[in-house]
Amino acid sequence: MIRTSFTALLALTGSVLALSCGPAAAQKAQPCIAGSWELTGALAHTGNAVKIGIEAAVDEINAAGGVLGQKLRVIAYDDQGEPARAVDNARRIGERDNCIVMIGGYRTPNALAIRTVLAEMEQPWMGVISAGTRVIEWESGKNDWMFRVSAKDRWVAPFLVDNALQRSKNGKIGFMFEATGWGQGAVPDIEAAMKAKGVQLVGKETFNIADTDMSAQLIRLRDAGADTLMFYTVDRETDAILRSMDRIGYKPTIVSAWGIGVQLGKTAGALTEGVLVHGTFAWTGQLSPRAQGVWERIKAKEKLKDPTELVLPSGTANAYDAVFIIAEALKIAGAYDKKKLRDAFYQVKYEGIIGKYDPAFEKTAERHDAILPSQYKLLAYHKGVMLPVEQTPYAVKK
Amino acid sequence: MGEILQYLLTGLSIGGIYALVALGFYIMWEATKAANFTHGDVYMFGAVVCVVLVERGFPLLIAAAMAMVAAAAVGALIERLLVRPFNKEPNAIGWMLTTIAIGIVIESTATITYGPLGRPLASPLAERPIRFGGAGIYPQELLLPIVAILATIALELFYRRTTLGRAMRAVAVNPTAAGLMGINPFRIAMIAYALAAAIGALAGILIAPVVQATPTMGALIGLKAFGVAIVAGIANARGVVIVGICYGVIEKFIEAYISTGARNAVGFTLMILALLLFPQGIFGRREVVKV
Amino acid sequence: MKERWQFLIILALGVAFLVVFRQTEPTGYQMGLMMRCMILMIVTIGLNILIGHAGLVSLGQAALYGLGAYVAAWLAVKQGMQFLPAVAAGIIATAIFGAILAYPTVRVRGVYLAVITIAFGLVFQNILVEWLSVTGGTQGLIGIPRGNVFGISLTRPIYFWVVAGCLILAFIVQYNIIHSRYGRAMRATAQSENAAKALGINLAGTRTLAFVISAALAGLAGGLYTFLNLFVNYETFTFFHSVSFLLMVILGGTGSLAGPLIGTSILVYIAEILQDLQEWQILAYGVLLAVVMFVMPRGIVGTAGELYARLTTKPRARETQAWPNRSVPLADIHGEGTERGQLVLKTDGLTLRFGGLTAVDNVKLEVSSGTVHALIGPNGAGKSSVLNLISGFYTPTSGTIAFFGNSIAGHPSYELARRGIARTFQNTELFGQMNVLENVLVGFHAHYRNTLFETLFRLPRFGHEERRFLAQAHQLLNFVGLSDYAEEEARNLPFGHQRRLEIARALALRPKLLLLDEPAAGLTHGEIEDLKALIRLLADNGVTVILVEHHVEMVMTVSDHVTVLDYGRVIASGSAAQVQDNPQVIEAYFGTGGAEFARQHAVAAAK
Repeated sequence: MIRTSFTALLALTGSVLALSCGPAAAQKAQPCIAGSWELTGALAHTGNAVKIGIEAAVDEINAAGGVLGQKLRVIAYDDQGEPARAVDNARRIGERDNCIVMIGGYRTPNALAIRTVLAEMEQPWMGVISAGTRVIEWESGKNDWMFRVSAKDRWVAPFLVDNALQRSKNGKIGFMFEATGWGQGAVPDIEAAMKAKGVQLVGKETFNIADTDMSAQLIRLRDAGADTLMFYTVDRETDAILRSMDRIGYKPTIVSAWGIGVQLGKTAGALTEGVLVHGTFAWTGQLSPRAQGVWERIKAKEKLKDPTELVLPSGTANAYDAVFIIAEALKIAGAYDKKKLRDAFYQVKYEGIIGKYDPAFEKTAERHDAILPSQYKLLAYHKGVMLPVEQTPYAVKK
Repeated sequence: MGEILQYLLTGLSIGGIYALVALGFYIMWEATKAANFTHGDVYMFGAVVCVVLVERGFPLLIAAAMAMVAAAAVGALIERLLVRPFNKEPNAIGWMLTTIAIGIVIESTATITYGPLGRPLASPLAERPIRFGGAGIYPQELLLPIVAILATIALELFYRRTTLGRAMRAVAVNPTAAGLMGINPFRIAMIAYALAAAIGALAGILIAPVVQATPTMGALIGLKAFGVAIVAGIANARGVVIVGICYGVIEKFIEAYISTGARNAVGFTLMILALLLFPQGIFGRREVVKV
Repeated sequence: MKERWQFLIILALGVAFLVVFRQTEPTGYQMGLMMRCMILMIVTIGLNILIGHAGLVSLGQAALYGLGAYVAAWLAVKQGMQFLPAVAAGIIATAIFGAILAYPTVRVRGVYLAVITIAFGLVFQNILVEWLSVTGGTQGLIGIPRGNVFGISLTRPIYFWVVAGCLILAFIVQYNIIHSRYGRAMRATAQSENAAKALGINLAGTRTLAFVISAALAGLAGGLYTFLNLFVNYETFTFFHSVSFLLMVILGGTGSLAGPLIGTSILVYIAEILQDLQEWQILAYGVLLAVVMFVMPRGIVGTAGELYARLTTKPRARETQAWPNRSVPLADIHGEGTERGQLVLKTDGLTLRFGGLTAVDNVKLEVSSGTVHALIGPNGAGKSSVLNLISGFYTPTSGTIAFFGNSIAGHPSYELARRGIARTFQNTELFGQMNVLENVLVGFHAHYRNTLFETLFRLPRFGHEERRFLAQAHQLLNFVGLSDYAEEEARNLPFGHQRRLEIARALALRPKLLLLDEPAAGLTHGEIEDLKALIRLLADNGVTVILVEHHVEMVMTVSDHVTVLDYGRVIASGSAAQVQDNPQVIEAYFGTGGAEFARQHAVAAAK
């Protein structure tokens, strides 16, 4: 018995030491762009969407010779949506792989969890989806390394509220949100935005992921008189909500944050007609020549048939623009140096497929976000497809 | 009044799912004093396979039947390979882990091959809701409690009137004695698991048009249904189905009047309390063991 | 003892490993990984005690781990508490919940208990998500200040040793509990509830202790985790993680000392490797779980141990000695007997009904000290039921039972055992997976005076008592002729030896009243003679014996007093000779017309 434990522990010692001794940290950073994304699990499509956008940009950049004479590499780690794994991956990326920049993923709690670790490692980070306000605007005000090309919930909320008030006939607005970090985190932003307009929500309802019936919540909202609802939900549960509405015969106007993607049209069919969704970009409908070119290349590489197969259109576009902004900053920095890159961010002026970044970032807490509210877009579901609202009957006549 | 009717109707629907999946647990437990711990995976398997077959062009009913047969095969394999070798001692728990393992494998395989997103399944009964008394429900959803009750009746008739059914009951009471009577308890066990899997798959197929089949749809359903079966006393089919349907309705009312978010916490706490009050389950028989 | 050497070697190896690891100047990432691994080891050590020794399967350990983490986190963030009190509070909170979780084990076991632990885990998870104001909801609690102990900030390099120190502490606690009467009591309750009860072990108390220890360790791990990560989030404490912990314990080898260490490290580092598989990660994990169950169900340590044993142990013939061994001074073993002439046991109107069946009907018994009182009767007469009533396994429907004048009817069996009523069982209820010596040691459980505190810290009295009872256990084995079998696993004993062991174990209780339930069944003629000698020897030394038997001839020669039962009722009571000639007794055994047959048979036997 003694001998067996002894040998077992020896073998264990050897293997653990072998596994844990990685390469020592390099002095300069490596030309790799790495991310900790949800590549498996229920939201695997979100990680994928980001990866597609990044790879599209990196392919283009590398085809033109790379940046500062080096080709960029993309490294993808899976955190299955767990913040603890995101922290581990952040350390890997910052210390072991020593990548010049880390790209964020879908979930706000994951981005929040790695804040301290990124600051400790002095690792530049570029968010492309997680829109939680606190990711970029820290309570201490001391965010030096995290930037974002994406929406900011504090700016999304007034956008939704404005659009809801524009379309509501009786001025009674309700709010439905999922019981996740993203949904719960949006509540203070929405309430502040309503207050700024001098209106109150007539109802505020939540539900759990994977719920299939929200009739209880909807009955309460209906009885409160809400004719317009704001949503912080994702496709699967929105489908359940739409069906619950169908059951009880309740048809409010819906103005949603960008949790709803193209998948909803495939599952809910005609029930999606008229649903309005916030976004930063749409790959459906008329595209600019540059965006058309990007879409053609993505279509060929990923073997897709039509743009509705890009399940997170805004996320993919954000990621694409983000990589180009990083490339511009690297050129300004002149070296693969994390500190120089960070400082160069404030000098980037660039025109991407989403819009003009002039400049991309400023040295204020609020302006580590590149996309401004004026650049937010409204999309609408029409005949099962999500299009820019101007291309549907649901634009508001001015 | 309309509200209460609404909650009742949707509660019956979800309760029907719990009842059917829990019925599967009952059948497996009776035959082997063990079960597929992640029985929710065959529920998901049935829905997903049916969706894929319909996408390939098979008519709905044929696809459903094929999916059920496939699920039955999976159930039998699980019994043969993962439960039987790990259920030899009276208090063995190895089967819990091996079936959890296969549940993980099935779910992640589905996520990789079928994809994480839900896909629709067209059914004529899920197109328009019927509304009455201020409440509405898709006819498809009402199928679930109805099928659950029919399945129970069919099962009880099967157990009482057919030779195979009686053989299964014999194995449940005393496998050794049944063996001495020429009944092969291993064959019975495989049949039981196949039957349980087919019923579980049926539940998935029936609800898929309403909830969109996704690879993760089965996990929590399976756990809850297992709890339901244990709380019911896993001793008779009727008890299991009653508790299943009641739990669905109770959940809905908790959501409506206590708290939507805390629905699971309250529901599971009720389960724990029920087990404390009725250690053999609500409908279970109290066993007096000779010392 | 060789277990002590094992323990010390593993400890030394572990410390050496950690020192060497630090010498390699690991990155922050590698240190974080190692610390997380050590923290998880603390959880699995607790789970190992619960499953491997107390036999209780918990699939909710992640919730206890999370409770410790969140309590410490909340106190640190919202109340500004320091590291030590915050973690201590976490441990206390989880210990309390551990005790609460133990309560169901009073009524449910096995799968039912597993379901309760799962439900507990899911309830906890739901509360974490919903109780926004306290738990931070799905975002969790972030911004936990770095731990601070007496002014020293717990930065990573220092914190590494804090975690290591706690792991070492947990490892020592594991050893100290397992190799003590508490560990033995846990294993006893897992292997035979009835025997454990009959030896004075409080089942509920033992199980609660097991749960509380495993919960406290999980709580400690949770607190350490909080101050490592500096944030807590519900995703770390899900059902999937509870399953992982179970897998770690099983992979390492349930119940072994090093098992949790090995299992945890392998799974943590394999998870790291699997990261590169991206979407195939979870699938690979599931496959791994299945493979482990198939190839190594006894875990690494267990399988390695089996191989080692198969390769090294040579089968040795064991010598059985004669019993009872009169050279062993009985007074040393079982203490003073009772003086003659006292009324040890008296029952009056004792009745037991099961639904429609009356098993015991108005039974009156009077047993004097130092006598052998036999209970005989045809099958189903209610003899075993009477024994079960006396030893507290059944509660009478009506009637009284008095032990030295005090009423004991309906008292729990473990309490009666402590008062001096010992028993054996019709189907020998040995602790099959413990060795012969340990079985007897469990019998001494009620006589130990040292407390849990003394056991955990190995204070002097612990050592004294262990040595003393070990010596007495050897003496008892000597008395029943099983000295050479001390290291043998009880379930490997031949049948007659199992009976001897059960008696030796019952004698360890130092009983005033010994109940023997069909001890002669299955014994050879020679063994029955030995048994008779032993019974008489005990009686002559002041131990009162109640004997239930079918061997009429044995009963008649060894008993002072015989009571005959039929259909639950007493039909005759008196000396052996009186009872033998009683026509009702004969009719009960042989039916009508049997009187003549019986007389002829008795005459023939006397010749």
